Amino acid sequence: MSDSDFAYSTSLSMDSIKVIAESVGIAVLADDAAEELANDVTYRLKVIVQDAMKFMHHSKRQKLSISDIDHTLKLKSIEPQYGFIQSDSLPFRFASGGGREVYFTEEKEIDLSEILSAAPPKIPLDVSVRAHWLSVDGVQPTVPENPPPLSKEAQKLESVDPISKLNKPANKDAAGKPMCGKAARLKASESVHVKQLATHELSVEQQLYYKEITEACVGSDEGRRAEALQSLACDPGLHEMLPRMCTFISEGVKVNVVQNNLALLIYLMRMVKALLDNQSLYLEKYLHELIPSVATCIVSRQLCMRPEMDNHWALRDFAARLMSQICKTFNTSTNNLQTRVTRLFAKALQCPSQTNDESGVGPSMNTNMKESEKTPLASLYGAIQGLAELGPEVVKVFILPRVRWLGERLEGALSGAGGADRLAAGNLKHQLLKVLAPVVRQLRQPPDVYKMNTH
Amino acid sequence: MAEKSTPLLAVLQLLRKYNLKGTEEILRKEASLGDAEFVNLDLPDVEIASILTAHHTESDPYSYESAYDALKKFIDSSLDIYKYELSTLLYPVFVHMYLGLVLYDHTEHALNLVEKFGPEQEDYYQDDLKRLSTVTKKDQIKGNNIAEIYSMNKFVVQLSRDASSQLKRFIHEQKTPSIILNIINNHIQLEVHDGPGRTQAQVRATAGGILGEAVKNENKTKVYYGLLKEPDIQMLTAPTEDEEEEETPDKPKKKKPKKDYNFVRKPKSDPNAPPNDRIPLPELKEAEKIEKGKALREASKRVQLGPDALPSICFYTLLNSANNAICADICDDSTMLAVGFQNSSVKVWTLTPNRLRGMKSAEKLQDIDKEAGDVLVRIMEERDRDTNRTLYGHSGPVYRVGFDPYKTLLLSCSEDSTIRLWSLQLWTCLVVYRGHTWAVWDVRWSPHGHYFASAGHDRAARLWATDHHQPLRIFAGHLADVDCILFHPNSNYIATGSSDRTVRLWDCLTGTQVRIMTGHKSPIFTLSFSACGRWLASAGTEIIIWDLGSGLPAAVLGAARLSAPTHALVFSRDNTVLASGCLDCTIKLWDFGSISEEATSEEAESNTMLQKDEKYLLRSFPTKNSPITSLHFTRRNLLLAVGTYEGSS
Repeated sequence: MSDSDFAYSTSLSMDSIKVIAESVGIAVLADDAAEELANDVTYRLKVIVQDAMKFMHHSKRQKLSISDIDHTLKLKSIEPQYGFIQSDSLPFRFASGGGREVYFTEEKEIDLSEILSAAPPKIPLDVSVRAHWLSVDGVQPTVPENPPPLSKEAQKLESVDPISKLNKPANKDAAGKPMCGKAARLKASESVHVKQLATHELSVEQQLYYKEITEACVGSDEGRRAEALQSLACDPGLHEMLPRMCTFISEGVKVNVVQNNLALLIYLMRMVKALLDNQSLYLEKYLHELIPSVATCIVSRQLCMRPEMDNHWALRDFAARLMSQICKTFNTSTNNLQTRVTRLFAKALQCPSQTNDESGVGPSMNTNMKESEKTPLASLYGAIQGLAELGPEVVKVFILPRVRWLGERLEGALSGAGGADRLAAGNLKHQLLKVLAPVVRQLRQPPDVYKMNTH
Repeated sequence: MAEKSTPLLAVLQLLRKYNLKGTEEILRKEASLGDAEFVNLDLPDVEIASILTAHHTESDPYSYESAYDALKKFIDSSLDIYKYELSTLLYPVFVHMYLGLVLYDHTEHALNLVEKFGPEQEDYYQDDLKRLSTVTKKDQIKGNNIAEIYSMNKFVVQLSRDASSQLKRFIHEQKTPSIILNIINNHIQLEVHDGPGRTQAQVRATAGGILGEAVKNENKTKVYYGLLKEPDIQMLTAPTEDEEEEETPDKPKKKKPKKDYNFVRKPKSDPNAPPNDRIPLPELKEAEKIEKGKALREASKRVQLGPDALPSICFYTLLNSANNAICADICDDSTMLAVGFQNSSVKVWTLTPNRLRGMKSAEKLQDIDKEAGDVLVRIMEERDRDTNRTLYGHSGPVYRVGFDPYKTLLLSCSEDSTIRLWSLQLWTCLVVYRGHTWAVWDVRWSPHGHYFASAGHDRAARLWATDHHQPLRIFAGHLADVDCILFHPNSNYIATGSSDRTVRLWDCLTGTQVRIMTGHKSPIFTLSFSACGRWLASAGTEIIIWDLGSGLPAAVLGAARLSAPTHALVFSRDNTVLASGCLDCTIKLWDFGSISEEATSEEAESNTMLQKDEKYLLRSFPTKNSPITSLHFTRRNLLLAVGTYEGSS
């Protein structure tokens, strides 16, 4: 609180005193008595809180607790308040009525017999000591026990406003590598800010870590993979390695889509998932690599060697979920992420009649139309899944109007000869039913209810 | 004259005090005050005197405001060389005007005064002002902490000779000088010093005490801040040395090649050192000698620290103890950790694979040959026991635990106003020291054992010896809670830090105060002496390093940045790095080597060296939501820190 809005003489109002008096059975309290009481109670309360602060400080806390007040009362030779034990802060509720406003704390009645019959609560864990290195020779190791070297907010700021980094003086507070004598001197003598070319130098340990993690993630040992993914999802301080990781994922997807290596694509998507789940990372700067990779895994015409046998549908589902997670996390009004992703999927569903109706049909649109006419069923499946993950509103606007056209394509494929096509069409039909059913039900609900009421 | 005016009552009280019964009766009759109506004002004498001298201004509460305004204008318009010194006068005048108005029942005017001029007082007085402004009735003055402090003591203001004559002229020129003159006469002690007026920075450096600055004359006594001559202990080259190294896994894994080979003990004749027998110290026992030898051997392997060689930090996190663990201490050889809890218990952990062992039972002890060389080993239980042990006995939060230098005893102090001495061999309480009347905030061992000192809410610090159940000395003088206490490395002095924002140094031999140091702007929570004994660091929300020779601050660290209070402070064993642990979950390392160098080289103008803390901060290490409760440098200069994990928020 700044000095200007601090009032030196705050006090309880007469109204509160009267309310309190009522609650202890004094119906009418004279005004001057109430005022006298208000002043006195205010003074006593303030003195008690001031003394309670001492107990708070000596308990090395920054929050006043009920026990502090109790100790102060003891100090003043006043009987402490029994039965007020609350580990957290006590929220005040507000109520008004009859022209009066009151703040109160909620107290629920507890049924003792319920407590007696219930299973005894768990014994709280005993205090234990755990040691870790906070710093080794002045460098803070990036282990889960230490806070992330660059907080998520700082990473976010950096990606939103890269200039801010240049303006800041060498940040001593943030843990990183301490500048050695020579580097520090160079830095001090430099008067021109030159943008550093290689800002992503990795230490030997980080290089080793990168090698281990990437090998484990795409290797054959499932146990190691789980560990590696766990590390990607939990470890702080990975932000320095992020560019490499993202390039690894994007290159890996490019190669393995061509080779139709379903297993590796799944592993790579799981890496994306792990990175998205890491609380200390902010991925916005790397979306240009991640989104195409994920989109590829959703709508690619072929993801595996034997489309009729392998379950590439699961990968499409998983990637679609990732895409919606990315959209939810990183969509802003400047990058329009969700709109762009939606448009991407919607294009795959465009039917000829719709495009013809629109004005200004150019030659490019015509080729588009031709292409979408030929869109493989697998890609259609992916696009629909991708849209479905983005929510019912998207389904209503983009899938529902295409149902007739989709139905026609399905009819054709189901009656067709190709075994793979028939399987795909079956899957697509099943998926459409699953996706559309809740949306349609919601659209149709009001007349149903109305009918039931009139009957 | 039916109303009981304050001056009338004051006169009555005065009459009663001098036992002038007849006059009292006449006065009472004339003022038609019945016996029943008589209210004893029960005020301190100073207050009565000021009432009696000031009673004629009582009728005009408006004159207070205008008088303060005039004083402010005079100070603002005076020359810069006087201005800053004179401006220290504003706060005490303001406070006593407020108290005066309250005393005369002009509550309205008092509140107006504080609303109008309160916000412009120095920021470090705001807390006091908030506390003082709760007093709005004259019967609240008696019994209120801060109001009593102000009315019973004189506020010290230091002025140069020229500034004080300026002030005198101003007071004489006033039409109604009585208000300010009365306050200055009755409540303010003007210390006039020769020499030029001080600058703003100089004034600010020492301002901040609850009663203004320390008086220079009080810091004239010589302080023997040198270290004691160490008793000769051969560097026993025990064969167990190699084995012992493997037992301590917490030491840095790779040994630094740079070892301090030319480590020697202090030169024999330090002019600042007190004679070894100034304070009687107990004879060293055999086991203690062995321990000392070990310490010296360890010290010879110490890593030299500096700005380019920062210490490694091992952090001990207390899990599942949010809001429960209060204090922690690590014993000198870094093998044990003790933690005091809010729920009155004390827990001791071993930090090495060696478990905590108890002594054998009495029957078994009888069978042991007392003459055997390894009797100390034999008395202990053979079976390994637990990795931690809990000590129960207190009945309130434990605010400090401390291992004795030879790690056989443990002290703890608590809200229940007792200090307990625990045996780390029997794992029971040995003695309960009663003496403090309220909560005991701090207890510390003498570096030589045997003695310990405690400080508490009763505004007194006490010196004890383990074999006496009553204190040997009581150090009284602080105006508010004594929040922290510490023995000087040579055991001859005790430093105390208090909520009255002063740090004081007391002589254990005479029991007198030898230094009073002002400059802190907030209550002081922790103290630390440098290894050489000359410097004292104290921390509240800012860290100040004091030179004990002069009693003046040598450096102020982190005044702007630290908003959360610092509760842990420790010097590295080679006196090069100061580490501070703060409640905002950071450990900061300060370059003490250059602080002491600059302070000694530019002693003449030492005061201008303040506030350059930016360049002294070496590094700051954040922890994961774990406020730091304790810091400790091992004998080899590894920094150990203890904190409680408060969960992710």
